[in-house]
Amino acid sequence: MKTFSTSVVELRQRFDQTVETHPYECGWADEALFFVELHDAEPGERVVLRVQLSADGIRWLDEGTVIETAAASFARVTHFGGFLRLAGTAIRADGGPISVTLSVRLALKG
Amino acid sequence: MQLSGYFDPLPRVLVADDFDNGMSGWLDLRPNFVAPDFREHSDDIDLIHWGPTMLSSATFAFGGTHGSAQGTYSLKISSRASAAPADQPPAPGSMGLAIKRLAVPPRAHRLRIEALFAYKAEQDRPGLGVDDVRAFGFFVDLQDAEHRFMPGVRYVNAVDGRPVRAWQYYSATDATDAEWNYGATDGWHKPGVDPQWFGRRSADGSTDATTWFDEGAQHLIYNESDDKLNWTPLSLTIDLRTRRYEEFRVGGRILTFPDGAHPTLAPAYDDIEGLLNPVFFVEADTDRRVSLFLDSVVISVETGVAS
Repeated sequence: MKTFSTSVVELRQRFDQTVETHPYECGWADEALFFVELHDAEPGERVVLRVQLSADGIRWLDEGTVIETAAASFARVTHFGGFLRLAGTAIRADGGPISVTLSVRLALKG
Repeated sequence: MQLSGYFDPLPRVLVADDFDNGMSGWLDLRPNFVAPDFREHSDDIDLIHWGPTMLSSATFAFGGTHGSAQGTYSLKISSRASAAPADQPPAPGSMGLAIKRLAVPPRAHRLRIEALFAYKAEQDRPGLGVDDVRAFGFFVDLQDAEHRFMPGVRYVNAVDGRPVRAWQYYSATDATDAEWNYGATDGWHKPGVDPQWFGRRSADGSTDATTWFDEGAQHLIYNESDDKLNWTPLSLTIDLRTRRYEEFRVGGRILTFPDGAHPTLAPAYDDIEGLLNPVFFVEADTDRRVSLFLDSVVISVETGVAS
């Protein structure tokens, strides 16, 4: 059997304009899914989040996958090494920065 | 799992968790989401934003992968980059906590919790981060037919940047409901319940329900860099019949409890009689993430009856 684990990395977490999720170690996993849920968004509000990976959990590089959602979405990631997080911004319809409440779940298997 | 010589379990090993085999039932300690809209049962303090628990290879920027005491993976309990002054309630995210949920088996009258641990500040800046770790510790949530009680120990490493390096144990408190719950008079947490969060805190690292060990000062091995881990053994033994402490071993030390020492004996709660829930936690002292690494955790009992 493979190992499976879902971490609720961020639960109803308030972010002010800039979103950076907690650095999550998952070198044991072969595959990952980020589930993103935006709470109580006003019309036009959304988040744009880049999947990032890291060799040390400190310094981050874009993996290439981008999640943009006004409600809920997910992204599949593989071959990511030891650490994962999401980084990005919360914006309103005209592109201006806003604060948002997010839940982020990371489902890992390997 | 092949138990290493660091472990000295009681005759009946209930679980021996080597994190090379997954999370082994350890997960983030979260509140009860039983309020409307799945809100938490208690909001006297923020209980939903503690840092997440994960399987770690202890990998660092300059040292590479440290690995665990046996194998590659350990359980990493992490705080977020957040802390309140030591005399204030814990700030949102200032702790990380992991729990495993078990039940007491028949005739068990002694309980032992053992682990190998290491603790670290995140190596996100030059220098040595040892004094950014306020504390770490563990306790066991237990309930018998009469009482809910939470025996455990806490290593106060630094308080508001000042080194302390001394052990406490969870002891009986006579705090009122309001004193325990930071002013809330109808708090879900009865005095003594969840002492890692509740009960008034003091600037020296004391709390309502902790007592400093006599001879409890100890310079644990943090090592000389934020990326060097020394796996250190600990072992706490509890008499389940008397609800009293027996012995606490950590590193090369054996710390002695005063005669009759015990945690607060709170009234029993509904629907949890017989639970056996060990909890490990770490606390940040500054706005810097800190972590407690565990490898492995062994929980054992003595029944006194041949099986």
